[in-house]
Amino acid sequence: MGNVNVNIDGKKLRVREGVTILEAAEANGIKIPTLCHIKDQVPTGICRVCVVELERSRTLVGSCHTPVSEGMVIHTHSPKVTAVRRVIVELMLTAHTGDCVNDTNAENCVLHNLASDYEVGAPRFNVKVPRFYPAEDSNPYVRRNLSKCILCRKCVRVCASIPGKNILSVGYRGFRSKIVAGFDEALLSEKCRDCGKCIEHCPTGALSAPVKV
Amino acid sequence: MPEKRIVLGNCGATDPNDIETYLGKGGFKGFIKARDRLKPGDIVDQVKKSGLSGRGGAGFPCGLKWELARNAKAKMKYLICNADEGEVGTFKDRYILSHDPFGLIEGICIAGLAIGARQAYIYLRAEYHFLNDPLCRAIAQVKEKGFLKHLDIQVFEGAGSYVCGEESALMDSIEGKRGEARYRPPYPQARGLWGQPTIINNVETLMNIPHIIANGAAWFSAMGTAKSKGTKVFSVSGDVSKPGVYELEMGSSLKELVMDLAGAVDIKAVQVGGRHGNIIPGHMIDIVLSYETCLGPGAVVVFNSKRDIIDIVHNNMHFLNDESCGKCTPCREGTEVMLEILGRLRGVEGAAGDIDALEDLAQTMALASLCGLGQEAAVPVLDSLKYFRAEYVNRIEQSLFLRSYLGEELSKSKEGER
Amino acid sequence: MTKETSSITSGRAELLPALKRELKKNGCLTREIMDTVAGRSGLPLNEIYGVATFYAYLPLAPLGQYVIKVCRCLPCDMKDAQAVIGGIKQELGIAPGETTADGKFSLELVNCIGACDQAPAMLINAKLYGNLTPQRIVEILKSY
Repeated sequence: MGNVNVNIDGKKLRVREGVTILEAAEANGIKIPTLCHIKDQVPTGICRVCVVELERSRTLVGSCHTPVSEGMVIHTHSPKVTAVRRVIVELMLTAHTGDCVNDTNAENCVLHNLASDYEVGAPRFNVKVPRFYPAEDSNPYVRRNLSKCILCRKCVRVCASIPGKNILSVGYRGFRSKIVAGFDEALLSEKCRDCGKCIEHCPTGALSAPVKV
Repeated sequence: MPEKRIVLGNCGATDPNDIETYLGKGGFKGFIKARDRLKPGDIVDQVKKSGLSGRGGAGFPCGLKWELARNAKAKMKYLICNADEGEVGTFKDRYILSHDPFGLIEGICIAGLAIGARQAYIYLRAEYHFLNDPLCRAIAQVKEKGFLKHLDIQVFEGAGSYVCGEESALMDSIEGKRGEARYRPPYPQARGLWGQPTIINNVETLMNIPHIIANGAAWFSAMGTAKSKGTKVFSVSGDVSKPGVYELEMGSSLKELVMDLAGAVDIKAVQVGGRHGNIIPGHMIDIVLSYETCLGPGAVVVFNSKRDIIDIVHNNMHFLNDESCGKCTPCREGTEVMLEILGRLRGVEGAAGDIDALEDLAQTMALASLCGLGQEAAVPVLDSLKYFRAEYVNRIEQSLFLRSYLGEELSKSKEGER
Repeated sequence: MTKETSSITSGRAELLPALKRELKKNGCLTREIMDTVAGRSGLPLNEIYGVATFYAYLPLAPLGQYVIKVCRCLPCDMKDAQAVIGGIKQELGIAPGETTADGKFSLELVNCIGACDQAPAMLINAKLYGNLTPQRIVEILKSY
């Protein structure tokens, strides 16, 4: 594969054909926020915070999954992009019922940081019933607090990439979607061990290492 | 303009259980011509020249799609007939499948020749389970006649999911997954079902193929407008005296369809294109039906002056929210928040920022959703805000008045208690 | 996309048809059934649960012998589907989401069933009934 010419945020770049817009941007020091992206894994395009403006495209495009092609003109932080990202982050926070204010991990929460970067103010939106699930402490290796889950599915994908694991899936659909184990039951320790991969990838505090008392 | 029945030409004229009646009406002449006298490339050329575009809503040029799949190099290529019409107000495919399954199968046979597919699926929505057996019997009759030597056709039944009408979700569903949309590129004609080149055509699109091959591309492209060729089948329901399926030449007016044919008299608005279709106010009834203006899959629901616009949009949103696959954030969360707002407006519990919130959400969903369904989910909201904004404004004012009035009453009664 | 091995692919390809066969035999998809399907397909239980709960027509809990699915979408709603639902409630004494005590009927409200030209409409199992009125409902239910 050869190289193609693209323009990202006014910078004229020559990048390898076949890489994604996100990869091209990152390689040239342009930062695009992501939540569901896992480096070197097949992208899913779920969270939509990485959307960018591609000239002559009717919609914004997901930068994590759109390959570059010759002559693309891309804006990663235009007013349109920023406005849309802000609403997406706002939507993620709307149904979120975590006690993030008291959370000692909050500064590590990617969502929390995005909300402050994009100046998401007081909540504007409501849903009839916010997602609430009691926190699960049954597993000695992973504490699940699905009320904080934003359904980015990174845990599902990293778990599936570990041979013999694949113990998480997405259940139900639409707004009622939920990350499930088994027959939508507690994460059993016979199946889930201490690899900690899902905790490492979780962008919020939905999955964490249990506090050792 | 009267009805022009080409796609529906054999509906009612042949017995859907007996292939002989279909053959008696000239059935399979197109296929025999394609098989014996045309090269696959010629078939694709004819379809390209005809100007036929996808009838499922997106309107992608059919011949171009076929050419891409035909030129793709792969061991296996698939053809899928999308019979998962789930758009509210659409029932044309049910009508076609019930009355003329042979016409569809002939279209599939020709498409198979053209793109070099050896396996075809008809993805039938679960709601149409009652059509599964008759369809399989029709396929068996076609096979007996020796028209299916090049292609195997299987009926694959869905399990109750509107999003599966979206082509990438449909393929995921056949692959035994949750029927969720995939991003594109890659497009199905390059990498589709099981990663192989795949063509997905709507029932009505395929119904046109035998006629195009039998009568020629020029005959077809003489009908319609500059960019919309041929005819279109419409499903008309709502406040009309004669609901049903009508076929009109592209470029006919909405007025001809809903007033002259379906018998609508009192028209406040018409929704064209299904659940997330455009809402056309009554005064624009002369609008032309074509890809250039409004069309979608041809679902047309008429609302009379007694209907409440917010009720209509709320019912729309209830459906979209219930059917959202839940994969991407804007559609999954956005439809839920919109439903909350519209539900409050419906119950006269609106708030000052509701219109702004709806517009912000609509813009985000349209620009950032992963698939066409999410991108179009907000169309009815935006259209109704454009043409019936006063109803929203009034509803919010009523809500604010009621709240302040009730608030006073409430505080009075509390004082009384004391 | 290309990561899947062929054995997983074949197990997957059969998944929806397999779940539908089990549904036809047993009336619903219980944990035991999903475990069996998991064993046969080589897919983990969580995957099968994820797929099954995605689709509206794959129930996890037992339903009546006859499942009445009344369309609640706009064209039917406009033709007073509410009166039809009311008629069924009165005749059978069950609300949407419930099953009669004798296990004969379940009532569900569903999204568009593609019979808007005959609104209000419903399905009983796979049979389509259109142009319903509360009076006709009584006759139809008596025929079961």
